[in-house]
Amino acid sequence: MPPASDRMTTNEQPQIISQRAGRLLTITLNDPRRRNALGTALFDQLERALDLATAPEVSDPPSVIVLGATGSAFCAGFDLEACVQDAALLPTFVDRLGRLTARIRALPAVVVARVQGAALAGGCALVMSCDIVHASADATFGYPVHRIGVSPAVNVPVLLATAGLGAARRIALSGEIITARQAESLGMVQSVHADERTLHAAVAALAESLCTKGPHALRTTKAWLNQVDGTDAAGFLGAAATRAVQATIDVCRTAESRSMLESFWQQRRSRS
Amino acid sequence: MTERASLTIADGCATILLRRAEARNALDCDTIAALRRCIDAAAAECNSKRSAIRSIVLAGEGKCFCAGMDLKGVLHDAVRMGDMLRGLSSALLALRQLPVPTIARVQGAAIGGGCGLAVVCDFAITHPEAKLGYPEVDLGVCPAVVAPWLVRRIGAGPARAMLLAGGTMGGEEAAARGLVTRCVPAADLDAEVATLAARLATGGANALACTKRMLNELDGSLDEKIAAEAAELSARVIAGPEAQASLTRLYAPKPQGGPAAHPPR
Repeated sequence: MPPASDRMTTNEQPQIISQRAGRLLTITLNDPRRRNALGTALFDQLERALDLATAPEVSDPPSVIVLGATGSAFCAGFDLEACVQDAALLPTFVDRLGRLTARIRALPAVVVARVQGAALAGGCALVMSCDIVHASADATFGYPVHRIGVSPAVNVPVLLATAGLGAARRIALSGEIITARQAESLGMVQSVHADERTLHAAVAALAESLCTKGPHALRTTKAWLNQVDGTDAAGFLGAAATRAVQATIDVCRTAESRSMLESFWQQRRSRS
Repeated sequence: MTERASLTIADGCATILLRRAEARNALDCDTIAALRRCIDAAAAECNSKRSAIRSIVLAGEGKCFCAGMDLKGVLHDAVRMGDMLRGLSSALLALRQLPVPTIARVQGAAIGGGCGLAVVCDFAITHPEAKLGYPEVDLGVCPAVVAPWLVRRIGAGPARAMLLAGGTMGGEEAAARGLVTRCVPAADLDAEVATLAARLATGGANALACTKRMLNELDGSLDEKIAAEAAELSARVIAGPEAQASLTRLYAPKPQGGPAAHPPR
């Protein structure tokens, strides 16, 4: 009998679409109905897509990965409905997100995020772990998680490396949702495009150009940048990231978090 | 052979001039060594009791500020190539530690290691037609030596995107992305540099030196270990098959009338 996640993919639309073309791997979050919320199936399938592409026995691992999404949002964060139903899931999701973002950072491939719509909380964390971020003008970023009693600490180390001390403090503490243009001015986004069509075209051109570059040079340069900015496992921020995952999990397990998440969810349901 | 870099001091401003215009001031072993002598001489002059130097301008003779590393002569000589990269890395460190503010006057081009020189200076001024950037990965080369300085200049996130994407950009984009402090019309470049140098001269010399020292301490500029490691890493990548193949193509004699070899964009 196949594991649960396999059953799900055979019965339902896959939540991750993985396409390989030469040295490029495109991974698309594909649960638009739930705004690509990070839940068990999506985590499973995303991890599996990375496993398949980067396993040691793969003779030609991709040198460039584009991480995109279908629908109106890139990723709206965790699947909160599942977390309300099962209290054990929230800390599990935090742990999985921490591992996933650390893994993306450490991947030998250059990872380009292609962001339309909301990239919030866990979605913003995914984007910040990427090397190059392109967004459409309607994209939004931020960690509006204090209102559910959750801390964005899990992603603070990499946010700090990307946006700098002042901006990281502002965004992580305020829960403010910022526009693509604001994110660009803070160094979190490299390029903002008018709409999704121009976004796709620009990312395709960038990916094509990255594929022409020396793969060894790209790999070495990424690893060196991880060392220089301290986000590799041995670095100051890499070590902090491990502690941050545990700290975030501890917060998720408090009664405060539990009751705030439940009342947030009730309010949302009564609104809709 | 004339000296490939010179130091002149006039009116409280020292100028270090790269003088290899025939090769767009590309950095070969001799040029890096000459640059280093000028930096050390400038440092000694600044540190002498009678110093009147209030700022240092780094400039290149001819049409280009600096076209980057000239690896042609050392491509197949791992020892000399290592020496060259260590020389550049240590020269950048010495340039950063000069006790007065430094201004890069960037005309024409500042590519790769040349862009590294501009970014290590406290200020850099260019013009819209200039080409700046780090096309190292386009050639299978790792910009390890310049990476820490770019991170200190524009932040880790933007530096990551710029170095991994490779390529070059015009002067205005370089200013927008923080590579240089200002982009002015080419005709105004000298005046802009002179105005900035004059303004810097109005500040207290001790105050400026103290401020610069503090900034260098805080942003990791004094990290000799990372500078040394960067040179070794860069040399290893250049010695590898991928970079050797693309650099051999780049430096191959051009067929008569054929297209010139350009780095891919």
